[in-house]
Amino acid sequence: MNESMNFSLITSEIFLLCALCVIMIVDLFQRDKERVLTFTLTQASLIVLFVLGFNSLGAERIISFDGHWVTDELATVLKLSIYAITFLALFYARSFISHRNLMRGEYYLLTLFSVLGMMIMVSANSFLVVYLGLELLSLSLYALVALQRDSSVASESAVKYFVMGGLASGFILYGVSLIYGATGSLLIADVAKHFSENSIGLVGQFGLVFIVIGLSFKFGAVPFHMWLPDIYHGAPSSITAFIASVPKIAAFGMTMRLLSEAFGQSISQWASMILIVALLSVILGNVIAVSQNNLKRLLAYSAIAHIGYFLLGVVPGTQESFSAAMYYIIVYALMTLAGFGIVIFMSSENKEYQKVTDLRGLGRYHPWYALLFSIVMISMAGIPPFIGFWPKLEIFRNLIINGYVVEAIVAIAFSVVGLFYYLRVVKEMYFAEAVDAPEISSSRSLKIAISVNCLLLLFLGLLPDSIYQYCLTAFNLMG
Amino acid sequence: MIGLTDYLILSAILFSISIAGIIINRKNVITLLMCIELMLLAVNTNFIAFAHYLEDTAGQVFVFFILTVAAAEAAIGLAIIVVLFRNRATIDVEQLNQLKG
Amino acid sequence: MTFQAIVFYSFAAWLIFAAIMVISSKNSVKAALFLVLTFASASAIWLLLEAEFLAISLIVVYVGAVMVLLLFVVMMLDVDYAALRQGFVKKLPIALIIAIAFFVVLYSFLTHGEFSAEKFAEPAAKAADYSNIKALGRVIYTEYFIAFEIAAVILLVAIIAAISLTFRGRRNRKSQNISKQLAANKKNRLKIVKVDPVVSANETSDELAVNQSEKQS
Repeated sequence: MNESMNFSLITSEIFLLCALCVIMIVDLFQRDKERVLTFTLTQASLIVLFVLGFNSLGAERIISFDGHWVTDELATVLKLSIYAITFLALFYARSFISHRNLMRGEYYLLTLFSVLGMMIMVSANSFLVVYLGLELLSLSLYALVALQRDSSVASESAVKYFVMGGLASGFILYGVSLIYGATGSLLIADVAKHFSENSIGLVGQFGLVFIVIGLSFKFGAVPFHMWLPDIYHGAPSSITAFIASVPKIAAFGMTMRLLSEAFGQSISQWASMILIVALLSVILGNVIAVSQNNLKRLLAYSAIAHIGYFLLGVVPGTQESFSAAMYYIIVYALMTLAGFGIVIFMSSENKEYQKVTDLRGLGRYHPWYALLFSIVMISMAGIPPFIGFWPKLEIFRNLIINGYVVEAIVAIAFSVVGLFYYLRVVKEMYFAEAVDAPEISSSRSLKIAISVNCLLLLFLGLLPDSIYQYCLTAFNLMG
Repeated sequence: MIGLTDYLILSAILFSISIAGIIINRKNVITLLMCIELMLLAVNTNFIAFAHYLEDTAGQVFVFFILTVAAAEAAIGLAIIVVLFRNRATIDVEQLNQLKG
Repeated sequence: MTFQAIVFYSFAAWLIFAAIMVISSKNSVKAALFLVLTFASASAIWLLLEAEFLAISLIVVYVGAVMVLLLFVVMMLDVDYAALRQGFVKKLPIALIIAIAFFVVLYSFLTHGEFSAEKFAEPAAKAADYSNIKALGRVIYTEYFIAFEIAAVILLVAIIAAISLTFRGRRNRKSQNISKQLAANKKNRLKIVKVDPVVSANETSDELAVNQSEKQS
């Protein structure tokens, strides 16, 4: 179905923009140092967005605004997970930022702006709108990383993030310009139609190469990962938790629109490139993570490895494998949030980040939190019955039934390497000699957030279908 | 006669220069920012050349938006550089080695 | 050689020269001025391609606003540019090799024939009353409406981000941090010092007092 200028299709986006303007003005007149009202309004608008999105589940696919906008099940499900995980991430952030000269209204505003950018990215149906959504997201994130103005490490990682992001955008745009030259259109539907009637040609292939390089930069996949650990390490922990988790979901949406929808006819062209990037990420990410002593850097390298697994899910190019990849990325976002949640939880007022060895004695003095953190680590390692296991299983199953047996074996072998460093964290908590009781945060909202997040990993692991069925419907795989 | 290929080669040269600039100016963030601007200029020239020879306005519209975004990006990038300079009194990216694990 | 060809080659030469100077200038102020030259010659080339509106806005918006902002920042920051050039010569060969390899690959497929003059003939001349601005304006507010709105939001983000990063509020404002005061505990403030029992009692209490006052300040 094709409609132009049907504003009911962008209700959520319009609502968020209006809410943003209201919050901005309310924040201006607030004298409260703790920004309770700003925080409440931000969370309330995310809840309203969730309700709006939930009501539009199961609607038919509509293309509107002269082909630039699409509302379908994929976009709706991705948006719902974006709202939910952002909601949780803001609870983590609350006590952390109030100790660090970060408690300003801009923190919430820029987070909401990046949510708007992500909504645009997953609903875009033309290269132009994808690019604009991506830039809206990236610009908000650069500013968020630099928001801790008195910290030199934060501004250092902001500069690195900015240069990397600019370079990635440049590559994507050069690729898009070549595709435009080859097809004469910016609409994803027209490009797909053109390539289904004509062969992709040399120019199309080169455009594709540039787009894949740009996407790998944005994902932080090997060999374009150089600065990713520095960025994750240097940014304030609550912001790292956000940029490592939620934008990955939107990047999945963008990958689907750019690669699977526009180049659906030439899967073999991009799948081989993605396969190399994915395997390199799995191997290097896991191997380097083993030698890390800083929990944030360890999680950053594990993030690279996870991106590798996720990209392996995209490689077979079938609808089933896409839904497995989608399942993986949503679960990954939830786990990573909990992982950096540990860092936030263990950060005291004066100390920013923690070495793995700082977790010593947690098992003895704070058994409940030690148990929760073990759940996160074991789930990330992909051991049943926790949630991290199921999407990994789906990805490997899809690889094997599509004939990528060797690649699947390599990926499984390096998951075993991954097991080593995740379990080392657990070992430090329970079995290492502790000198003193480790300090933990005393904030109630943080305690609730981390308990909810970690228990979700357990319960969703016991009911693996709960998220997966939405991922299947997103690709029309449920009757 | 000047054809589409000439314009595309010109922008390819510009793109290659900006890549070289990013490699040799790894230290100076302001020059890195300028290299990214050069890269976007190459992309824009590509789009305008295609728009002209395809007789289609879409390419020009895309350039219009790239210019807008690039202006916003430059503003934020310069703000970040100013913050960095206030903290460190340098803009040397390679001296920025607090973050090595 | 037609008039167009002369214009194209002369401005293309300026463009490439200026771009090389941008990346190799010793001083960032010079580099910024060469970037202005690059944009000016690029806008002449865009005029050849009948993109009049964009050519003008490149000069007005880009050179007129963005580059001036860049120059302000470059001059405001007191940077030691000589120090930034260390290792420049060492990286030059590898940069040249990568750039040339990159260009050769691009060149080989651009001249492969897909963009040959037969496939993309010079379009017919526009009618005398054709207006580039009208043509762009007509589609931007209809077909590209949603993109236009998003661009507005991006500019809003740029404003908020730039202000929140650089605006420091009124100076010298003192305020009480209640949560910090309430969170103060014995562990962070008080340091118990083990003192040698030989030392007289008077000195010990003095040392403890000094320690405490140091912590509190």
